[in-house]
Amino acid sequence: MDAFLKLGLPRKLVIDSRELDQVVREISKSAHPDSGGDAREFEEVRKAGEVLKSPAGRLRLALELVEGDLVPRGSVDGQVMDFFTPVAGALQKVDEFVAERSASRSALGKAVLDLRVPSLKNEVELLIGGLGELAASLEARFEQFDDDGWESCLSSMAETARALAFVTKWQAQLRTATGKLFEALLGG
Amino acid sequence: MNEVIVGIDLGTTQSAVAVVDSGFPILLADEDGATLTPSAVWYGQEGALEVGRAALRRSGVEPVVTSVKSLMGRRPSEADGRLTPEGKIVTKRGEVTPEEVSAEILKKLKGIAEARLETQVTKAVITVPAYFHDGQRAATKRAGELAGLEVVRILSEPTAAALSYGLDRLGENSRVAVFDLGGGTFDVSVLEMREGVFEVSATAGDTRLGGDDFDELLAKKAATVLSFDFDGADALERVRWMDEARRVKHALSDEDSVTFRMPFTGEVEILRSDFESSMAPFLDRMESCCRRAILDAGIEASDLAAVVMVGGSSRIPMVKARVSAVFGRESDLSQHPDEAIARGAAIQAGILAGTVREVLLLDVTPLSLGIETMGGLMNVLIPRNTTIPCKAGEMFTNAVDGQRSMSVTVLQGERELAGDNWKLGSFEVEFEPQRRGQARVGVEFRIDADGILSVLARDVSTGRDTVIEVGSAAVDVHEAKVEQMVSESIEFAFEDMNARVFEEARLKAAELLPAVEMALAQAGEFLKPEERSGIEACREGVLLALQSNLAPSLKSAVEALDQATETLAAILVERATASLFSGS
Repeated sequence: MDAFLKLGLPRKLVIDSRELDQVVREISKSAHPDSGGDAREFEEVRKAGEVLKSPAGRLRLALELVEGDLVPRGSVDGQVMDFFTPVAGALQKVDEFVAERSASRSALGKAVLDLRVPSLKNEVELLIGGLGELAASLEARFEQFDDDGWESCLSSMAETARALAFVTKWQAQLRTATGKLFEALLGG
Repeated sequence: MNEVIVGIDLGTTQSAVAVVDSGFPILLADEDGATLTPSAVWYGQEGALEVGRAALRRSGVEPVVTSVKSLMGRRPSEADGRLTPEGKIVTKRGEVTPEEVSAEILKKLKGIAEARLETQVTKAVITVPAYFHDGQRAATKRAGELAGLEVVRILSEPTAAALSYGLDRLGENSRVAVFDLGGGTFDVSVLEMREGVFEVSATAGDTRLGGDDFDELLAKKAATVLSFDFDGADALERVRWMDEARRVKHALSDEDSVTFRMPFTGEVEILRSDFESSMAPFLDRMESCCRRAILDAGIEASDLAAVVMVGGSSRIPMVKARVSAVFGRESDLSQHPDEAIARGAAIQAGILAGTVREVLLLDVTPLSLGIETMGGLMNVLIPRNTTIPCKAGEMFTNAVDGQRSMSVTVLQGERELAGDNWKLGSFEVEFEPQRRGQARVGVEFRIDADGILSVLARDVSTGRDTVIEVGSAAVDVHEAKVEQMVSESIEFAFEDMNARVFEEARLKAAELLPAVEMALAQAGEFLKPEERSGIEACREGVLLALQSNLAPSLKSAVEALDQATETLAAILVERATASLFSGS
């Protein structure tokens, strides 16, 4: 599905997210079954909105549109791979904490474990912040892709897409980890 | 003329019915002028039946079915003994299903509406907790059908409350959170209201947390003081204690101390501060949900224009205080706690009937939907907080030559291990006999606007579509068996009970002793001298008991140390939590 076409938007990687929201909302209004629309059409509009909202999703779609297929393998930016070990480490520490805390038998045992939480949370937040900056710098390349024409920067786009795929996945995992920390802490 | 669709709030403790009249939602009153109907049903002999206040008047004297909502869509193993192994409730008139009981309440509400509106009512929007899963929603829909109602929409309660709040604020563009703490369930939703579109961005909740828990807390507190065996008491006696607990709970919202009175048993003074501190674990669970909703919505608490509180338990001062603390603002109490949801249901009914225009509701599925993979993990197909209606597809193929079918288990929940999630049921994907990997069947999972799943299989080679029934009966039988196995193994294990008690206590001691050391070093200075010496003495006790090899003495020594360190634990938690939440 060409999400750009579905939402009547120009094929551009640089998108004003507020404008996108506005367009999706407008079409949702008439496409929703409650206002006499068709459920399948509504689902497709929402799906298109989701694809375009995510920079990684947009880029993947753009590659599909011009090339017909995305090359999944290939080199990944060193800047991105620098995050691999710290992210994996932080996620593991959170999982260990959650497991130990739920196995803990006494209030004091739990309390002592909780002393680790602030530094854990800090570690996770620093990584989320760092990945956010990295994502922004990757997204900054979009303007160039649009200006030069997608067809002429396929390999650079593919590399950026791979990098964004990693960054997006890690961001989601770290956000889940933050949620787990809260839940362990407040779950009693 | 447009057809009449009523909005119904089918609550744990009370229910209400409403319609939109001249663009404004109003609650419909019964012949006594009451707009709230207790969700209580009494079954007598020879078909005698009473619903609502009449049923509730018999409470504590005869068995009355209450809080049936907490049994909707539950399996017997999840019902704390309130359901028979067949999923029925025992009454004087024989066994009934939770759906049948709910249907009686719905019939009563239908009758109230018909008397007020002087017309037949056949269609309704019925609300459910946002966090209800597929099975609980489907059960509610069936209850409506049993009551002779076409259920045109199953609507989430916090979303309904948001409609009620937002109807006269249609011109405003803002983001709000709705906090809904009812008799048995808790939900929190974050919504964006923009140009008449109410879009839910995230929802979280707990379908086993509500006012009933606080009643039980108070009843048990009083029972302990009065040396009454609450857990062992018969059902009618427990109802009387719970009724008194409810009265005390209500009074404690205005007073600092209230007397809990049980005729022939005694009296006990309950302090509000005591009640509040024992509520802490429940408040923590609520806070956890609120934080997750904020996190999932991708916002900060400060981005919210209002936090709207509804549900009877939102009247409790301590609940209000905690909500203010979590969201960093005073809550919006403009909505009637018991009526807002029925009003919202009526507005949604108006939208569907075409009498309310320029308003559209976009709700989400509260729980991730997925299937069980080979390794027993959950593979998410539709993540939680996806706008409904929505769909997802998955392709299945044969793993060996000539394989005719494979079993697929559908799950709802957020846990990684399949077994930790709610099993919605399973179905068979049928293959044409072909070589390994050649047969291909695409399965489409669709969640409709009611939040209810339907599954469609398309054989890619034949192009044939089949609607798949997701059966849950098989799961139930299996669970009942497992439960039986567990209880049997406990009986066999009784002989080594002594050894187990000692081992349990030893493990707890092994955890506590180093924890005490560390905690005293970190926060010992905040303790009173007598608290500190108490801890030291208990620690000596544990060390001695460890040498004794006697299970009972070690157990009591460890418990003493556990209790003595309560304050110390609280100080540590407070310090950890303060630094955690001050950052964000």
